[in-house]
Order: sequence, then C-alpha cells, then structure tokens
Amino acid sequence: MTTLSTATDGAARGRGRRWRASGSRLRTSQRRAGLLFAVPVIVLELLLLAVPIAQAVYFSFTRWDGISSTWVGTANYARLFSDPTFWRVIENNLLLLASIPFAILIPLLVAYLLNEHVPGWRFFRSAYFLPTAISWVVIGMVALRVFAGEGILNHVLSAFGLGFIHTDLLSGELSAMVAVAITFIWSVFGTNTIIFITGMATLDRDVYEAARVDGAGGFTTFVQITIPMLMRFIQFAFILTLITAFTALFSLIFVMTGGGPGYGTTTLEFYVYQQGFQVGVFGYAAAIGIVLFAIVFAVSLAQLRIFRSRLD
Amino acid sequence: MGITRRRITRSLMFLILCVVVVVMLFPFVFMVLTAFKSEDQYISGNGFSLDSWAELFNVLPVVQELINSTVVTAGAVVLIIVVSTTGGYAFAKLGFRGSGMVFLAILAGMMIPMQSIIIPEFVNIARVAHLNNQYLGAVLVYAALGAPFATYLMTTYYRGIPSELIEASVMDGASYWQVFRKLMLPLSIPAITTVAVLQFIQIWDDLLIGLLFLNDPQVRTITVGLAVIQTGRVVNVPALMAGSLLSALPAVVVYLIFQRNLIQGLTMGVNK
Repeated sequence: MTTLSTATDGAARGRGRRWRASGSRLRTSQRRAGLLFAVPVIVLELLLLAVPIAQAVYFSFTRWDGISSTWVGTANYARLFSDPTFWRVIENNLLLLASIPFAILIPLLVAYLLNEHVPGWRFFRSAYFLPTAISWVVIGMVALRVFAGEGILNHVLSAFGLGFIHTDLLSGELSAMVAVAITFIWSVFGTNTIIFITGMATLDRDVYEAARVDGAGGFTTFVQITIPMLMRFIQFAFILTLITAFTALFSLIFVMTGGGPGYGTTTLEFYVYQQGFQVGVFGYAAAIGIVLFAIVFAVSLAQLRIFRSRLD
Repeated sequence: MGITRRRITRSLMFLILCVVVVVMLFPFVFMVLTAFKSEDQYISGNGFSLDSWAELFNVLPVVQELINSTVVTAGAVVLIIVVSTTGGYAFAKLGFRGSGMVFLAILAGMMIPMQSIIIPEFVNIARVAHLNNQYLGAVLVYAALGAPFATYLMTTYYRGIPSELIEASVMDGASYWQVFRKLMLPLSIPAITTVAVLQFIQIWDDLLIGLLFLNDPQVRTITVGLAVIQTGRVVNVPALMAGSLLSALPAVVVYLIFQRNLIQGLTMGVNK
C-alpha cells in the first residue's frame, strides 16, 4: 500500500511538473495575447488623453498661441491668482457647490416616497429620469423661456396671484447664476433619484418593520435609518453631482446666458473656453484648465477611496 | 383610525409625486406644444400650425446635421465598443506585465475634465493631425473621453465570467481571438448594450467637442447647429422648440427603449 501510494504520488508529481511547464508556456502566450488586446485602448488613451494632459501642464507654464510658445514659468498662475475675474468665477463655482445639498436632499426625499410604491411609481420614476436623456443645449433652450422676463415662470406666478413678484432672473449677475443653479438641480434630479432608489432597494425591509413596531414615524425612520444606511450612495451622488456641476455645464451656460451678464454665470470650465477660444491666450487658458483638473482630481480621489473601501 | 391615517399619508405622497411630475415634465410639454405654433400663435397662445417646422428647415440644414450627428455618434460608439471590449478582455482575463497599473491609469482618465485638455487636444487635432472639420477628429476625441468608463464597465463585467470557460476553450485548441469572438463577445451583449446606450446619449447630446472640432456648417451636428442659431437670436421661439424637439427625439427614443441599461450603467459605480 505504502509503495503504491508513493508511486502514484510520484507519478502525480511528475505530471504536475509537466503540466506546470506547459502551463507557463500557456501563460506566456496568454500574456502576449493580453498585451495585443489591450493595445487599441492604450494607444487611444495615450495619444488623446495622456499626451494632452501632459501638454496642458507644460503649456500652462508658457505663453502660447497654439503655434509657438515661450516659457514663462509660473507667470500664468501668478496672473490667474491676482486676476479679480478668476475670483469672480470661483464665486460662481462656489454658488454651484452651495446648490448641491438641494440637488441631493430633494431626490432623497422623493426616492423615499417612490420607495413606498404608491400607485404609478414606475411612471413617476421614468418621468423623473427623462431629462437624463435630453441634451444640456435643449434644457438650456427651454430654461431660457422659463426664466425670461415674459417667460413661463412669471406667467405661473401671475396665475397664482403672485404677479407682483415679477422676476427677470437672467438680467442680474447673481440672479442669473441662481437660475442656472436651479436648472442644474432640476436636471440632475432624476439621476440622483435613481441612485437613491437603487440604494433603498438594497436596504433590509425588516429594519423598517422593526422601527415601525417600535413606534417610529415616517420622518424618524427617514432621518435615523434611511439616511445613515444610504451614506455610501449619498457620497457617490454628491461626488457625481459636484463633478457634473464643475465640468458638464458648459453647454447649458453657453445656451442660457453665454456666461453673462458680465461674468455673472462664467464658471471655471466656461472661463477656459472664453480665454482659450474667444480671447486666444492658450497658455493662460491651459493654466485655468489645470486648476479645474486639480479640483476634480482631489474630489475623484475621495471617490476612489469610497470605491476601495467597497472592494475590500 | 390607523388605516385612515395610512390612506391619508399615501394620498399625500401621491400628490407630492404628482407635483414633482408636473415640474419635471412641464418644460417638455411646453417644448412640444410650442414646436407646433407659428410665432403669432406662440405670442397669443392659441392655435397650432407647422410654420415653425418650415422656418426651422429654412434656417438650419436639419437633414445634413442629423446625418452628421448620426455618423459621428455611431463612429465614436463603435470605436468605444471595440477598444473597451478588447481592453476589458485583456485586463480581466488575459493580463500582461503591468496590466494592473495600466488599467488603473486608464481609470484615472475618468478624472480628467474635458476642459482641462481641450486646448492641447484642439491644437493636436486641428494643427498637427489636420483632422479639423472632419468626422474622424471628433470621433477620436469622443472615443478617448468615453473609453475609460466603458473599459471599466467591460472589465468588471468580464471578471464575472468564469476563467475556466476560457481555459477549457484554449485547451481545446481555440485561439484567444476565437475565445474573444465566440465566447466573450456574445456573453457580454448586455454590458455592450449598456455602454452603447450611455455613450450614444452622451455624444449625441454633446456641444463643446462638436463646437470646436466640427465648426464648419457642412459637418456640424444637430446639437451644435441648434446652440449656434440660439445664440444668434434671430430665429423665433417656435422654430427653436421644433429644433429642440427634433434633436432630443433620437436620444429620448433610445432612453425609452433601453431605460434599464441606462440605469444599470449609471449605478454601476456604487453597486459593483
């Protein structure tokens, strides 16, 4: 018995070695195939993403018109940080930042209501999500008619006997930015609602039942159970909304206000476009783009952390 | 008492949800109704006509722009699917020296805002590659911007396919290319659909890339054409709404058909 088992062990070991040898040949050819399959995406991202971001960093230290460039060190950044317009633009970004709590809280409440599955909740969900498919250009186009002096908003106000509030939001710097922010909140409402509904679907119904048995009301359960248990989804929605606010509103602003009146609705991303393609100072515009990148990068790193903690 | 209270609460909830629907859909109702009015009817608020459409086709080469949008969007979506499926297969299943690092680097691409690279990108495409005002230039830029997330999505999806399936096929003498074509691609149709839907909507709706890289009226997309006549402020509101409706329609149809895929792709970031 002992000899037999030793013999089979040996045979198995021998076969194992042979297997491993052919396995490693397999490994090599697999890796070669792996590299080949990855080449298209690597080349694309290298040429059209990695190289341009490196160029953007380099040219942000130059005076550049697209053809010739002169190294100017940190002059662009020095000029940027002493440029009052830049700080005016940052204020607009801060106003967008301040609007994010609304863009989170309203969808959170509505998702909570939808999750109760009142009649027609599927229709409600689809209707809320619809703007996600609509371009910012079209949204801006309609928003313009909503907020205009003779626009829909004023008609609605008069219809409710509130005609005395007659507003012309787009004509003032701050109020125009508020109009942009409202449109923005309206646009991301559906996306965030969907994120929260998805989150609520993962929650354990038993916890709610237990809370109800303990006599907790709807509002108490919402604040003490739903919100804490959805924290991961709230963080995700916050970061997504922030990145949208800072990098995806170009088209909306382009159509709605063109960045005005004055610099009233010029945000960082719009300022890059203005300085680059309307003024034509490419180096300076690149520096503004790098500042924007730094902000988004910092926020995204926070997001990556959330991803990581999920993966572990 | 308990049941009455519950009924009142639920009616109240229903009412709130209805109010939200009105707020969310009203702009679209306005758009659709206004699109079928003449300028006078728009001002007076009564009647319907097709004048706005005549005006729209008069001021905007609508058909050409729809063709341009279709070509650019389709080209970019196809390119994104090609690089993200091959790349996803490589990162999830095959691997190579440093593939983990390369994958992370591509994911990092998601953090780069379009506006941060737009100036060098424009100079490279327009003045170095001379692809300005050609479909290919915009297609490449859209593909490069969309591919990182698509690659992430495909890689995650392929990781869920058991490696034993691939190993068994390879043992049976199939090449890695055959495994990709006959096994991985058919298995990943749902993920590919999600990528296609997300990217279709994003690219069809985009303004900035089109505005810069396809500036010539001959190659302009419908979204760019619309934004440009809006800022010109010479076209009447009903015609603008007709244009808005027309440009929004393809993406809305795709949304209505593939709503589930869109939601899946969107919530992918937190769920998986």
